[in-house]
Amino acid sequence: MFKLNLKIAWRNLWKNKVYAAINIGGLALGLTAFVLMLLYINHEESYDTWSTDLKNVYQIRERHDFFTPDNKEHWNEISNSRIANLIRSKLPQAVAVTKVDNDWGFSNGFSLKVDNADPVIISKIKDSDSSFFKVFPYQFLQGSADKALENKETIVLKESLAMQLFGTTKVLGKTIKIVRWRSDKGTALTITGIVADPKFPQSVSFNAITRTGNKDKDPENPTNNNYCLVYTKLNKSSDTAVLNQTLQKLYVDFKKNLLNGQKKSYNDIYKDGKSPGLKVIPIETVHSNPPYTSGWFDKLKPVMAISAFLLLVSVINFINLATAQSVQRAKEVGVKKVLGSYKRQLTWQFLIESAMQSVISLFLCIILIEVVLPAFNNHFKVDLSFWHNAQLFVMISQLFGLFVFVTLLAGFYPAWILSNFNPVSVLKGNYENGLKGIALRNVLVIFQFIISVTFIISIGVMEMQSRYMNNKDLGFERGNLINIKTNYEDDFAERLKKIPGVEYVATTTQIMGNAFNVPEEVKYKGNAINLNTVTVTMDALPALGVKVMQGRIFSKEYKQDTVNTVVLNEAAANLFGKNLIGQTYGKVDWEGKTNIFQIVGIIKNYHNEGFDKAVLPTVYKVTSLGGTSNTNNLLVRFNTSKYKELISKIENEWKILYPDFPMEYTSMDDEFSKSLEENNRFMNMIILFSIVSVSLSLLGLFALSTFVAKRRTKEIAVRKVLGASNIQIVNLLNKSFLTLVIAANLISWPIAYIIVKKWLDGFAYRIDMPVFPFIAATLISVIIAILTVSIQARKAAVTDPVNALKYE
Amino acid sequence: MIQLKNIEKYYSSKGIKHYVLRHVTTTIKQGEFVSIMGPSGAGKSTLLNILGMLEEPTYGNYEFMDEDVTNLNERKRIELYRNHIGFVFQAYHLIDEMTVYENIEAPLLYKKIGSSERKSRIADLLDRFNIVAKKDLFPNQLSGGQQQLVGIARALAAQPSIILADEPTGNLQSAQAEEIMQLFQKLNKEEGITIIQVTHSEKNAEYGNRILHIADGVVKDDVAVRDSVKI
Repeated sequence: MFKLNLKIAWRNLWKNKVYAAINIGGLALGLTAFVLMLLYINHEESYDTWSTDLKNVYQIRERHDFFTPDNKEHWNEISNSRIANLIRSKLPQAVAVTKVDNDWGFSNGFSLKVDNADPVIISKIKDSDSSFFKVFPYQFLQGSADKALENKETIVLKESLAMQLFGTTKVLGKTIKIVRWRSDKGTALTITGIVADPKFPQSVSFNAITRTGNKDKDPENPTNNNYCLVYTKLNKSSDTAVLNQTLQKLYVDFKKNLLNGQKKSYNDIYKDGKSPGLKVIPIETVHSNPPYTSGWFDKLKPVMAISAFLLLVSVINFINLATAQSVQRAKEVGVKKVLGSYKRQLTWQFLIESAMQSVISLFLCIILIEVVLPAFNNHFKVDLSFWHNAQLFVMISQLFGLFVFVTLLAGFYPAWILSNFNPVSVLKGNYENGLKGIALRNVLVIFQFIISVTFIISIGVMEMQSRYMNNKDLGFERGNLINIKTNYEDDFAERLKKIPGVEYVATTTQIMGNAFNVPEEVKYKGNAINLNTVTVTMDALPALGVKVMQGRIFSKEYKQDTVNTVVLNEAAANLFGKNLIGQTYGKVDWEGKTNIFQIVGIIKNYHNEGFDKAVLPTVYKVTSLGGTSNTNNLLVRFNTSKYKELISKIENEWKILYPDFPMEYTSMDDEFSKSLEENNRFMNMIILFSIVSVSLSLLGLFALSTFVAKRRTKEIAVRKVLGASNIQIVNLLNKSFLTLVIAANLISWPIAYIIVKKWLDGFAYRIDMPVFPFIAATLISVIIAILTVSIQARKAAVTDPVNALKYE
Repeated sequence: MIQLKNIEKYYSSKGIKHYVLRHVTTTIKQGEFVSIMGPSGAGKSTLLNILGMLEEPTYGNYEFMDEDVTNLNERKRIELYRNHIGFVFQAYHLIDEMTVYENIEAPLLYKKIGSSERKSRIADLLDRFNIVAKKDLFPNQLSGGQQQLVGIARALAAQPSIILADEPTGNLQSAQAEEIMQLFQKLNKEEGITIIQVTHSEKNAEYGNRILHIADGVVKDDVAVRDSVKI
């Protein structure tokens, strides 16, 4: 019987080819989106699971406001380097503690030179101390965990890097010259180990770990701090809650001591809701809990919802078409029942039919995934693979689970409807029974269209917001401006200025692509004001092309500008009050001395980050009074269109001065696109998903209207005999579907409004909620629904009524 | 074989009972060929459905092979379908997606009959009904008469003791109808299969050996057919 049932199922699919193709293809699309999502989730969840020994490894997080994007306190990954020592000496559970460089993102990497080969830039070379491999259980291919970093000036390479540099892993004892920044003299490091690349991604990812000796000691002066990542391995898996209480106590004592050394008062620092804090978190949770942004899971939630909806839309198509088609199968059910088939057997038969279609969809889905995965990887900057996946077994069991789930979801209701047919009525030829569940089918169609319409509205609003962002005034001129990743050196700057076409050469601590926020507190008319400080050179503001609102910007003509003048941005000016030009404010420096600064100008806010973040109240100064900071930004503004030529001239100058380090630069146009990238990526995905969802819904509607038209053949024939025109017939069929589509539109408006509002709220600079996408979505959905149904309705309308009535 | 006692069937709507069958009491013995006749809406088909346990009587008692089957559960009813009852329909009701061969095979599969036995039985039926050449065709490739032959072959495959036929020739031309009726008569005579058919045609009814006349849900007349009418 099983074989025969399969045969029947196959013949049925073949008989209704179009319908089957819609069903299977739609399901395959829905599954593909969902499985891609699964692959991505698996990948994200596999972070730091490459060894069972990692369960006792913890990351230290310190609560402070140093180098945070909004100058406020956060639980940071980077901790004061002294904390490593604190834990080592005061926490008996700690077996090993290690300090590692943070990925600051100042440069693309370090320059490595092997023998006489050209230097190559290699990213993720991190400096650590002798304990690194005691904390992280990497598998050594050459050398050993105990000995590798025993001495200073050593380096341990990952297998992949060793292969890239030398083509072999047998390189112990060889030396590599490493040049960290442009003016670095370079250090020769001896290779003392090669470790295997783990199968799963790591939150502390590296190409090489060095021990230069810098991480061995902490700064002696208590006012100097080094920040780095700190990891510890405990003797056994511990209760972090208890452990963190101990740490908190240790930290408060430590902090009091340290502040004492800095001649600061603990109570002064920790007021207004600020509080000290130190804790450990298990390493496998590090990746899902980044310090400032929400974790990947939260970020992925909307995408997960979307792909789940997509799957749902395709499952709904399946259910709708299967129940609509059930009319054709009614007789089979009736006959089988009187031939001696149990209801249960029939239910199984129809479930197996669904399963068969699911299996085909699943195979199609796997093929589709293979096809789209490269694009997906490229788009989302990941490296996922289906077949060469370390979690292939997990993946296959997930797919099997998905298959069972989809089969039951899609097949159960139709199977139940079908196997419940009453043989007496269906065998009498009364198929009207097959129309049971028409209410459910309508609800499902409405549901599909709610999803589709919501998608269309979202695209509209997102498109408008992104057009707004693309065209929004950044507050500075981003064209003809490049940023060379190096600090400002007069010699180089002077050489550049001589190149024809170069207008300005300047530096600033903060620029799009390198948002380096330095907080400070100033006193103005007795009020404390918190500002973000940016140190610039004289030419920086004109180089950026900022817009002056009041007063002036820095200029060589004013001697005072190198002494104590500042320029505020609008956001800062709003904190100060009105009539600011010429006013002064005071700032206490670390020695306790009050410096007076005069405000000489106010500029329009300009953006350093994406439009999701508000521009911070910022003060710009040229003077070193009250402390300066330094980052690797060298701005070059030019006024020529011969961009390539100019860059090569700059590079020539660079090579003369710094032969050991390749030049790196970005254009501000690129940086701006980068700031929009994440948003664009999200939008592209929404657009793609919307198109798929809308077309699936329409295919479903198309197939459903086919069946309805077929079902109503007799009614149509009778109406025609009574004198109805073709148009009237088409309208008749359209009306029933149009009601559904309009109902769906009405429901999706508030839903889309809430979702889109939430999305817009994520932007500090956003458009007002537009009405246009809502109306457009409704028009679009109604028009295409009418077109889809009309094609079928027309077919039904123009058939000769005699044919339909003859066989009654 | 069949005993009906006081069978009633009615539908109530808005408090009014609409009777389809009233006080039907009759006995049908093994080997009889009974034709149920009557005008449209008289309740013939309902009676046949009740006999076939497709519908339950509202009132009354029904014994099939000395067993009370008035209220039967699904499992037992299906056991009876598998082993004792064969249905033949006016519209043939062959399964469109199955070939002739598979249609005949279906009841045997439900009956869980071994593959070799199945093959020989089907071969035998195809042979007897002269449709061997058609065994791989689908129903829509056959004429009405041929389809009904397959329908009967299917009903016979499980070797039932009774065949219930609802206007088996209603959709056929008279020549084909005659052929089918002769087949029924032969089955009844030679193999002793009990046959109950619903029919409009006096001529078809006379192939049987007993006629139940029904009007307005009541058995008006129960007559034996004279032998002389038979061929």
